[in-house]
Amino acid sequence: MAKSKTPLLDELEKGKWPSFVKDIKQAAQKSPMAEDLLQQLELSYKDKIGHWKHGGIVGVKGYGSGVIGRYSDRPDLFPNVQAFHTLRVNHPTGWFYKTDALRKLCDVWDKHGSGLTNMHGSTGDAILLGTKTEHLQPCFDDLSAAGFDLGGSGSALRTPSACVGPGRCEWACIDSLDVCYNLTMEFQDKIHRPMFPYKFKIKVSACPNDCVASIARSDFSIIGTWKGKILINPAEVTIYAGSDLDIQKEVCDLCPTKCMEWDGKTLKIHDGDCNRCMHCINLMPKALRPGKEKGATILVGGKAPIVQGALLSWVVVPFMKLEPPYAELKDLIERIQDWWDENGKSRERLGELIKRVGMRVFLKAVGLPAVPQMVKAPRSNPYVFFWPEEIQKEVK
Amino acid sequence: MSEDLKKRIVDLFHEKSRGDKKKFYIRDVTKWLPDDDRHAVQDAVKVLLDEGVLVYWSSGSTTYIMLAEFFPKEETCS
Repeated sequence: MAKSKTPLLDELEKGKWPSFVKDIKQAAQKSPMAEDLLQQLELSYKDKIGHWKHGGIVGVKGYGSGVIGRYSDRPDLFPNVQAFHTLRVNHPTGWFYKTDALRKLCDVWDKHGSGLTNMHGSTGDAILLGTKTEHLQPCFDDLSAAGFDLGGSGSALRTPSACVGPGRCEWACIDSLDVCYNLTMEFQDKIHRPMFPYKFKIKVSACPNDCVASIARSDFSIIGTWKGKILINPAEVTIYAGSDLDIQKEVCDLCPTKCMEWDGKTLKIHDGDCNRCMHCINLMPKALRPGKEKGATILVGGKAPIVQGALLSWVVVPFMKLEPPYAELKDLIERIQDWWDENGKSRERLGELIKRVGMRVFLKAVGLPAVPQMVKAPRSNPYVFFWPEEIQKEVK
Repeated sequence: MSEDLKKRIVDLFHEKSRGDKKKFYIRDVTKWLPDDDRHAVQDAVKVLLDEGVLVYWSSGSTTYIMLAEFFPKEETCS
């Protein structure tokens, strides 16, 4: 048997999970770029060092983002990946593709790139991996003709993303798809022309299950919620009681705020204490439903750990009605971005800026009132720092 | 769009690019011109980018702006 040219990469194919190595090998059968990619990766494992230089070229005419330049530092060995740029393509909201759209996208990429994709990147974009500099503009032109646009990269508004929402989910409290599409169209310039101190991410989840993890991954999180009582269907509760589900142990005892009572016949919910964790609704979907008055909670400041540690988003608007054209929401985003743009240091995310100057400074700057739902650690930290003039006002 | 503002921005880029540092954050540019409106400076930079006098340089996560003449030769600017 012929000796493998990639013995180290072959090891990665041996695990339980599907391996990207297998995919690249498959692509390498018809793509010289994929073949050189494979060989360069093998060399990286051998040398224990990455052989990519990244950065530089940023886009196509009129755009400052959407392309991430990547070059091999061994073009002498791997000429087909001398330039191996990544394109970020703005994904359809909720990641719903019609088959013909998906075919068109793949055809464009077979024509101009390596044929390798990452569907999808963590921001949400369709990531097209590996094309040459001279193909960037023609590739963009063909993508545009097929109805696609580039997404955000660099110090820009990143491509907004949303959960599947009402397209497929019964818990949707808002139309996350429409909100996301509206914001994407509204802020096109901010996506394509980087002018911010650093990246800014907006993610929309239609219910507090937060399937796009907006609370952990976005500077501006929009999470669907409801006002008022969780709707209870007593007949369905009785059916659950007769099933394998132990309502006391698995539902009430695991409620984080202990706002539920079960006497063996009747389920009571003290809705004032509910923090929208969705645990009970997820376990008893036929018996419990979100309340009737629906809207969204707005949170800010989430981010993954890069410059500073990871931050979770912080509530700034407990409840906002979200209806097209979302003027109140867009206005709030503009005010927040403008404040961050003016006050943020280079490479400082919104959450880091708020942490540095304080929430009350942020609230004053963007014109939001302090409300109890903003207490960062409810039930454990009751302290709120008021402005001196507010205390004076109260005393009078 | 003020031609005067554009000229001052280009002059500042030339002045600041005399050393080894050629890439700047947009934040640097607005700080160079503290008496000008930040949005006006950003708009003027966008026009200079359209005109090809300035170009973006991006690492993928962070974007810098530089004079087109200093863009690394091995990389063709768009």
